[in-house]
Amino acid sequence: MGLLILLIPLVTALLCWVFNDRKILHGINVLGSLFLLGNALWITARVQSEGVLTYPLFDHFFYLDCLNALILDTTLLVGFVTCFYSIGYLDHEYGTPQDLRKIKLFYSLTYTFIFTMVLTATTQNLGLMWIAIEATTLASVFLVGFSGTKHSIEAAWKYIIICSVGIALALLGIMFLYFSSSQALTGSRLSLNWLTLYENAGKLQGNVLKMAFIFILVGFGTKAGLVPMHTWLPDAHSEAPSPISALLSGVLLNNAMYGIIRFLSIVNKNMGSSVYTGRLLIFGGLLSIGAAALFILAQKDYKRLLAYSSVEHMGIIALSLGLYTPVSLFASLFHMVNHSFTKSMLFLTAGNVMLKYKTKEIASVTGLLKTMPLSGSAFLLGILAIAGLPPFSIFSSELNIILAAFKSGHFLTGTVFVFLLALAFGSITYALLKMFYGKEPENRMPAGEVHVYGVLSICVLLLFITCTGIYLPPFLKGLLDSASRIITGV
Amino acid sequence: METCLDFLSLLILVSSFVLVSSKRISSYITAFKMQSLVLAVAAGLLGIHNLFVEGLPDVLILCVFIVILKVVYIPRLLRTTYQKVEYRVEKDFFLNIPISILICAGLVLLTYFCLYNLEGILSGHLRFYFMNSLSVVLIGLFFMITRKKAIGQIVGFLVLENGMFTMALLSYGMPFIIDLGILVDLLTAVMIMGMLVFRINETFESIDINRLRKLRG
Repeated sequence: MGLLILLIPLVTALLCWVFNDRKILHGINVLGSLFLLGNALWITARVQSEGVLTYPLFDHFFYLDCLNALILDTTLLVGFVTCFYSIGYLDHEYGTPQDLRKIKLFYSLTYTFIFTMVLTATTQNLGLMWIAIEATTLASVFLVGFSGTKHSIEAAWKYIIICSVGIALALLGIMFLYFSSSQALTGSRLSLNWLTLYENAGKLQGNVLKMAFIFILVGFGTKAGLVPMHTWLPDAHSEAPSPISALLSGVLLNNAMYGIIRFLSIVNKNMGSSVYTGRLLIFGGLLSIGAAALFILAQKDYKRLLAYSSVEHMGIIALSLGLYTPVSLFASLFHMVNHSFTKSMLFLTAGNVMLKYKTKEIASVTGLLKTMPLSGSAFLLGILAIAGLPPFSIFSSELNIILAAFKSGHFLTGTVFVFLLALAFGSITYALLKMFYGKEPENRMPAGEVHVYGVLSICVLLLFITCTGIYLPPFLKGLLDSASRIITGV
Repeated sequence: METCLDFLSLLILVSSFVLVSSKRISSYITAFKMQSLVLAVAAGLLGIHNLFVEGLPDVLILCVFIVILKVVYIPRLLRTTYQKVEYRVEKDFFLNIPISILICAGLVLLTYFCLYNLEGILSGHLRFYFMNSLSVVLIGLFFMITRKKAIGQIVGFLVLENGMFTMALLSYGMPFIIDLGILVDLLTAVMIMGMLVFRINETFESIDINRLRKLRG
């Protein structure tokens, strides 16, 4: 039953090539993502009641606990909303009958992409996880270059080259990890299973593990978009079609970060403290937040700006992982969820705006609140949410991270963090608020939304981030709590 | 056996220097092919050893895959890509070759120095393999940033991957399934890169990476 979650996206990707009718293709798409979501919720319920869901197949490669159930749920919830959104997007952008092939290609690539992300989140074999993360890049390259313009091809090239090299370095890290276990665990069977490695973490060789962690941080950090390995990210996220940007920014980054988290728990258990990993992660996090805040100020393209904001938020998550206290771990996982929903909502809204105005330039978009009342106000609220204003959920997770920093005695880090957050808030609002007011553009476009799917999907996401900002349902809180306990092992 | 592998790992390192010193695309594709061949020989030796000592055919199968993919298929793929997109010979590197070789020698020294200082973990042959393969990884990275043509970057990536594979093979070896998965991933990556090279050639009318500079900041 649980393994269905790996099967559904593959079947959906194949089914897209069987039918030749636009409506049926859209139907398959929605059904596929709905089944995925249902299955994920079933798995989550099982995991919450039993702790772990695993099958003996292939040395227990399929393994779910609360930590990856959380990642999986976020992935598939955002996946469902973006797949729903894609219907309207594709009908608008690729509306002619000749474009049917493009639609098939789009859906099958999207579902392959979702499959690789699901595999990343459901396996405990670190080698397989590496293969899956590399495969996410391969599956999404053509989606990034989907429109076939000069810019998008350039972005796709940068994306595949930089990410492949980065991920290759992560492989080196996994090899070092394997090597550190091979001398310590003689006698018992060697494996790359996370659970085995975690249980025997004390016996691994510390020095090799330290080197392994650096390679992992650089490798998966490239994929997660930490500065200075972020250079592919703004290009790929801004040039991809909007639903794909939402997936790339909202959930793919989480998956890469999840890879780092699994390693982090092994390394920290081995060292007995989080000083070594903490220094690296806090430094990387602060650097990412600061650099992104400055780059945001210089942006002329709103999708690119949102991409830089993802770099900033990944930095925040890395920083709070570096603090490694129960509160900060809870907050970092919560922040991951919040960032996913808020950022994917923003990219989808940006997609609506782009379909209407036919441009990504901030300067050419004016009077957004008049021309697109619904999308415009959702965009405005989303920007305030991503910048960290209450009552949205990002505010509450950021507040928790700040509290955790000061409580654990990282006064300097906390102060710099608050300062950088203020800087990022200032630059995001300064750069984007111009879009909403002012006169409507001269060519007198009629007021109104482009497609109804776009409005519905952003409303759902907006509702979600507002509710979790005010009240955290016990179901989600329990999941986050047990997930953060899995990391520390207490 | 150990001496033989020592020699082969050194040969892989030397072949990456041959790669750095080659000027034209066709000659560095050949250099890559030779390097893969050496890697395949090393895998074959290890495979035969494993088959007779432990009765496991894993590494031998891997050797066959390496020969098929890295020695035959990928070089041919690169060559056809290159023949379809290239119409004139031009200078392909940012740094001239003597300087590149000096820098690569520096990289090898750096790796040797770093790994010597890691005490107690690596010893004897294992340390030697690690040094050589890590140097190959670094040289591959360096090669990627000094070449202007898209194919140069692909070859650099492949050399980097060869370095990783040498390390995986000669140290303790990763589980068989993982090795196989890595090879398949690599193949897909190179095929996608090849297709992208065509697209770049169509849209930019060249495969010079220097022209890909619209997206900045």
